Amino acid sequence: MLLAFRCAFASERIAATAIEANEFPQLSQELGVWAVPRIVVDGEPRWDGAVPEPEFLRRLLAA
Amino acid sequence: MREWFAALERPVELLVGLGPEATPRAGSRDVDFGAEMVRVCEGLAELGENVTCRVEQEPEGFPRFPAVSILPDGRDAGVRYDGLPWGYELGSLVGAIVEAGREEPTLRPDSLAALGELDRDLALDVFVTPT
Repeated sequence: MLLAFRCAFASERIAATAIEANEFPQLSQELGVWAVPRIVVDGEPRWDGAVPEPEFLRRLLAA
Repeated sequence: MREWFAALERPVELLVGLGPEATPRAGSRDVDFGAEMVRVCEGLAELGENVTCRVEQEPEGFPRFPAVSILPDGRDAGVRYDGLPWGYELGSLVGAIVEAGREEPTLRPDSLAALGELDRDLALDVFVTPT
């Protein structure tokens, strides 16, 4: 989660929100959240699980 | 945490948004999430002079409640936590405060260079749980 926040603080182009899945079950269901962390970019689920910073950036910028 | 917050290079404001809440999954209905959010954020603000907390009802740009926006120097940096950051996730909020309080980001130089090339806005949502 912290990596997403770091990206947002570093770039005005990025907004990062952590969403507590249990508190918002309807939204979590809509986005098929069965594993965490689930990363969603521009409303589209992209990947599950923590990855190292270089891979995180690669996936984020490829989204 | 007091040492981390004492080392902040600029002020960080926690803007807590309260409003109509979603119905959480069974087992947590007896928790007053809004009150707990205020308690957690006000408690964090007591740990350092550079950390402050403000509570508003349904502030602009908050789609879910409760939530907290982390504002470096009072500026909206697009960083928000929706829901109560409890359990291990409290560490994410504390880490966000520490990062917001730094003048320079802690990402790797190649990551910063890649972000500098970004020519469109991206909305990144990360679904998490307390455990």
